[in-house]
Parts: sequence; structure tokens; C-alpha cells
Amino acid sequence: MITHVLSIVADGVLLGLIYAITGLGLSLVLGVMGIVNVAHSAFVMLGSFLAFELFRRFGVDPVLAFVLALPVFFVLGTVVYRVVITRVQSAAQTQGLVAMFGLMVLIENLGTIVWTTDTRVVTAAYTNTSLEVGGVVLPYVRLIAGGLALLLIGAFWAFLRFTLTGRAIRAMAQNPEAARIVGVDIQRLSAVMFGLGIACAGAAGVALAMVFPFSPNTQVVWLAWAFLVVILGGLGNVANTLFAGVAVGLIQAVCTAVMPFDYVYLVLYVLLAVILTVRREGLSSAVRRTI
Amino acid sequence: MTAPSLAMSGLFAGYVPGHPILRGVDLTAQSGRITVVLGPNGAGKSTLLKTAAGFLVPLRGSVMLGDTDIGHLPAHRHIALGIGLLPQGRSTFPDLSVYENIELGGWSMRSDRKRLAAAVEAVLTRYPHLRELRHRAAGSLSGGQQRAVEIARMLVPDPTVLLVDEPSVGLSPIVARQVYQELRALKAEGRTILLVDQDVRAAIAIADYVYVLGSGRNDVEGDRSAFEGDLGAMVRGWLGV
Repeated sequence: MITHVLSIVADGVLLGLIYAITGLGLSLVLGVMGIVNVAHSAFVMLGSFLAFELFRRFGVDPVLAFVLALPVFFVLGTVVYRVVITRVQSAAQTQGLVAMFGLMVLIENLGTIVWTTDTRVVTAAYTNTSLEVGGVVLPYVRLIAGGLALLLIGAFWAFLRFTLTGRAIRAMAQNPEAARIVGVDIQRLSAVMFGLGIACAGAAGVALAMVFPFSPNTQVVWLAWAFLVVILGGLGNVANTLFAGVAVGLIQAVCTAVMPFDYVYLVLYVLLAVILTVRREGLSSAVRRTI
Repeated sequence: MTAPSLAMSGLFAGYVPGHPILRGVDLTAQSGRITVVLGPNGAGKSTLLKTAAGFLVPLRGSVMLGDTDIGHLPAHRHIALGIGLLPQGRSTFPDLSVYENIELGGWSMRSDRKRLAAAVEAVLTRYPHLRELRHRAAGSLSGGQQRAVEIARMLVPDPTVLLVDEPSVGLSPIVARQVYQELRALKAEGRTILLVDQDVRAAIAIADYVYVLGSGRNDVEGDRSAFEGDLGAMVRGWLGV
């Protein structure tokens, strides 16, 4: 019994770490820049297909794909910032939201054209092997994906806390006008921040591809997970996002163990509704929070 | 320190196209002196400072730092050229520590970390009470302490020209007096200071030269002595009473 419970907890924590990085980029971009990037999950999906294509065509291990995704998606994010965000950021927030929604639909449809709606999996050499510790079975793939996610979260936390650029990003979130006064080029740093958010999305996509089957349409489910993490953990706070991700992972693991799988999503969406009801101000107040 | 002068000539600037706030202002902040800009609300004083700091692009006219036209340079380039801005109201980063706030003042020096660390150290030596507070979140400090953090942050890149916008707003009289004393000390170091203020008496007390703006244009100007008479009459004139 204890072994079973420990397995559920371990599974939930490892899943939660992946959910945490799925929400982290969304949380940081929203918290720092006030941009509701609904296209976030589309970049997560692209990250999954990057891992899929690298593995299928060149036999690249997903761990390496995770590392490669960071610079690739960082550059992609800065390009999207320059091409899309800079054009809509001075407009009303709803206009930006619609632009990002359009980008999401565009990426999903391009994904469907390129990869069809077939479900894909990335099957690395260690996909079906497990580590057993005291009777608790830990699939290697989840251990590795969870470990990579934890490393990335730690790296983001350290970056924001201990580097001058990270502190400038936090400063920009707290008082953008004062950040300009000390000489921060807001446009440039915002591009960096958005690039980091998308890098995080791409890496999360690789981690998710290691654990779950996926298709271009799966991104909608991931968007819901990402928002659940953000709403539960608040905006722009790396540690809170970590705890929120782990909480979501644990809830899912427990629900999966005690009820039919179809009900798991129901529970998660009810949880989302309850949180939004309790935190009536929703995302708008969260935007005002600082990191 | 040899500070350049800051000269604005025929300056038009504003926030809405076709509706300039400044309408042909001519003003020179002489090297190493305190130049004060006074005027009623809406005269364009803060707009003048924002334009000088690079936050607003002049619609017409020029902003010259020494021999360099800086009117069309973005704000972050002004810092590198030696211009510091002390804005009106609170401008600290409340959740960052005092040290982190001050360190960010040297953002323009970030490519040379040794120089940046030395500059932060020099500022903390200048303001030892901030060294004691360096681990505190800036948002937890009193208004006067936050003002000190803002001044310290502005001084990290060792600016030669200081743009100061109503430095005493929200401060107790004692702290406000300390701020004006500090401005005197900064002038004594040879820095050029352009001070915009509503506290007419305090500003004129430290001024070398005074400009009065009215409705976005030059009204009167002169040495401090010309303004040391009946200040009450001048203010009553602004208020129309």
C-alpha cells in the first residue's frame, strides 16, 4: 500500500515538474510583460515535433533535443516578438490577445499540414525501462524529463535572481518607467524575456514528447495545463510556478489512480473553474504582481 | 569634473501630435551650475525634463549636450552620455534589495563588471547608511530612504548632467532639506544640474539661474538675485489670485 502511494506521489511530482516548465514561460511573459500569450502551447507543440523530427531523422536523443530547443526557440521567440508583439503592444490588450490567438491557430494549422493529426510518440532507448527503488517503480523517461525540467526551473530561478540581466527583467516587471530611467532598453529586454518564455515552451514540448503521445491538436490540452499552473501559482514567480506544477501533477496522479482516466481532465478543469471563482480578479490582478 | 552644458533651443515637444506642450522653449543649463525651471502646473516643466532625458522626441528644435545633438537619441543612450534623471515620485524597484536597486543604476556599465562593482562601492561609501540597508527590499524603506536610494542609483554611472524633477515631493521638510543640500554638494563636484520644482522658495535658494515657463513658453529668466524678492507675488501671479 505504502509502495503504491509512494509510486503515485513520485509519478505526480515528476509529471508536475514537466507541467511547471509548461507553465513557466507563460507565467514569466505574462508577469513581466503583461502579454497573455495564448500561442504559448503552440510553441510547446513545436518543441514536441522538434524532438520528434530530430529523433526520427537523425536519431538525436530527446535529452539533447531538450538542450537544443532552448537556443532554437529563444531565437524564434525574439523573432515573434519583433514581428508580432511590437506591432500590437501599443494597442488595446484585447488586440494583442487576438493576435496571439491568430498565431496559435496559424501554428496549429501549419503543424497539421506538415505532420497531419496523427498521434506521434518519441520512443528513446530508455522509454520502456524503469528504475525500482524499494518497490517504487520510476520510469526512466519520467525521471529524465522531470530532472531536465527541474534543472531548467533552477536555471531560470538563478538567472532572475543572480544575474544583472535577470534583475533588470525583475525591475522591468516592477517599474518599467524606472527601468528606462536607469538605461534599460525596454524593447530589447522585452525581446529577450519573450525569447526566454518561448525557449521554455519549446523545452517543455520536448519534455512532454518524452512522456506523452502528441499531435498538433494536443496543444489545446497543454494550454489548459499551462493556464492551470499559472492561475494556481500566480504570475512571474518561478518558485510558485514550480509548486503549482507539482500540485497539478500530484492531483492528476492521484485522480488517475482512483478514477477512470476520462474523469481526470474533468477534475482538473473543475479545479481551474474553482480557482478562478475564488480568485475572482483572475489574471488581471496577477498582471500587477511582481517577481 | 568638467561637466558639459545642456542647451535647448526652439524646443517643441508634447505627447499628442499637433498639440505640443512646449512651444519654442529656449533654455541653457550652464556647466557646473544649478539651473532651476519654475512655473505653474501645465507650464511644461516635466515635459521639458522628459525631453532632455530622451523620453520624448522633440517635434522641433534641438537638445544639445555640449556640442552633441541628443534630441533624437533614445533614453538609454543619454545615460551613456552622462545624463542622470531623478524623476518625480517613487521610482525604486520595490521587491529588489537596496543593493540591487543601486547596482541597476550602472546598467549602462554592465559590460565592465569590475568597473560597475567599483562604482556601486563608491556610491555605498558616499552614502554609508545605504550600505547598512543594502539587503532590505527597497519597498520596505521610508520615503526619504527610498529617495536616497534613487539618488545613489542615479550616481552610479557618475553622470555629469543631472535632471531633477521635484525632488522633495512627498518628503518631510527635514528630509527635503537634506535632498537640497545633496544637490548643492553635487553641484560643488562640478555637475550640471537642471532642477524642475514646485517648491519655489527651496529651489531658488540653491539656484544659480532661474527660468520661469508659462504655457509652454519662456516667460521670465534671470540670476537667483532677481527672484529673491517677493516670491509670493510670483506664485500668486501663476495662480491668478
